[in-house]
Amino acid sequence: MFQPASLKGESPVPIDERIRNKYLILYILIIILSFIPSSLFEYWYVTYFWSETFIWLFFLILPLNVLVVIYLIQFSAVLGSVLILKVVNLIHAPKEGVFKRSLEDRDYIFWNIRNIIKKWPLYLMASNPFPWFKNRFTLRFFGVKIGKKTICDNSWISSEFVSIGKNVIIGMNSSVLSFGIEQDNFILKKVKVESDVLIGAKCVLLPGTLIKRNAKLSAHSYTNHNAVLEENSIYMGHPAKLKKKE
Amino acid sequence: MEREDDSKYEMEFISTSGVYKTPFSLIIIIQLFVGGVVLFFVNLWFINSLYYLLTGSQFYSFGIKAEWYYWLLLPLNIYGNIFLFVFTILIFSAGIFRFLNKLSHPREGVFERGSKDWKYMHRRFWTAFFPIWLARALPLPWLDIIAFRFFGTRVGRSVVLYEGYIDPEFVEIGDFTMTSLNICIFSHLIYQDKVIIKKVKVGKACVVGPHTIISPGTVMEDFAVLGVNSYTDINQNLEGNLIHVGTPVSITLPIQSIEESQKKAVKVKDEAKISKEKQNGSNLNLKEG
Repeated sequence: MFQPASLKGESPVPIDERIRNKYLILYILIIILSFIPSSLFEYWYVTYFWSETFIWLFFLILPLNVLVVIYLIQFSAVLGSVLILKVVNLIHAPKEGVFKRSLEDRDYIFWNIRNIIKKWPLYLMASNPFPWFKNRFTLRFFGVKIGKKTICDNSWISSEFVSIGKNVIIGMNSSVLSFGIEQDNFILKKVKVESDVLIGAKCVLLPGTLIKRNAKLSAHSYTNHNAVLEENSIYMGHPAKLKKKE
Repeated sequence: MEREDDSKYEMEFISTSGVYKTPFSLIIIIQLFVGGVVLFFVNLWFINSLYYLLTGSQFYSFGIKAEWYYWLLLPLNIYGNIFLFVFTILIFSAGIFRFLNKLSHPREGVFERGSKDWKYMHRRFWTAFFPIWLARALPLPWLDIIAFRFFGTRVGRSVVLYEGYIDPEFVEIGDFTMTSLNICIFSHLIYQDKVIIKKVKVGKACVVGPHTIISPGTVMEDFAVLGVNSYTDINQNLEGNLIHVGTPVSITLPIQSIEESQKKAVKVKDEAKISKEKQNGSNLNLKEG
């Protein structure tokens, strides 16, 4: 909710520095593509309203024009990156597992490429001043399913291998991570959060976590790799341990 | 401190502050519209005046009064626009906020989902959302403190309050308090079917360490310090002049003066030297000093 600008809840898409410059062209391509619809809209707006009769209307609905342009840029960025992502996924499909964190490992390289493609739309989504069409809307295009009536806008949610049920509360400043790095290994494992779960503020879910229906995770705790939190129970601690079962 | 009926606030775990998206969140469009219209029309008048001074004809025909010194104001235009935009939105939404408070007086307690207080809490939060976002996104560091004051958070003088999640009501922060990075000050906690609202009070010259959570009902007395990575339970009282650490806060430590801690450091160093001279084993145990 009332977060500072530095903690806006951008979905984490880290990129390996060794191959960052190599695929820069993809990133710039998506940025350029995302500005085309909004500039076409601006052209239409100016030519249509800049006349003797509509000039007052031109200035009157200029604030709403800003709102439309912000969302046009965001939506077209999402669409552009999803199209490129589909092509990349055809070349190499994403899969879970433990990989090597070296440039010879094909899975690791393609994970980085996917992150480069997703970075711009997710950055735009997080920097948007308006609270609509945020995580729940945007992440759906990248394969993350988030149910209805879920609060998840102030948390860092990974953009793949995550599924979140409906009526879930994910607290401010929490992170849901489906990837992890351990020394030379790179881990990709699905995080599953079922319906009616409550996750407090500043929690961290590590890859492989399964939270079953109606479980509660208290604030300021984290779950272990491959942890399973049972139904109707309360967990807390570092790492999360069972506190009470109903 | 006397408190009535603490038992209804007792929860087994701490959740988070936050709101659901209700249709009332569309008020952000109205706020944007009001701020934008004022901004654009003032600028239109300004540009029109400059255009008149330059060419003798009007940029767009409506009444102007051009003065030569308008040219001097041109560099200030951008800075002035920031002020104009933010403060029209701040004053407008603070007005709505006061109006909502009159409709339903905000009060502490535990409220069911869908009740009147629950609805008005959401309305107040959505009213305060955009102005505070704006104040924090703009490059003026004192602007967000002013924005919080507009929405009923009592913030004292010389307060550091930049990098944290802070609820806009039922929070009171004293003079010279310093809050660190990535903190949460919650006066609301939502559980699936209810919300807990309780006032948070942070005293004078307190220090709130990084990565901490302050839950509703916490009272930090003057000169108290909340240590790194700890959180407080609901209705916890942190005594003044002490350091409080723990998840939830359970350990208290004395605040040492610089001289005292320096003396201790010298003592530890000396003992380390002596033990080195003695050559009794290779591992130094600094903790025992």
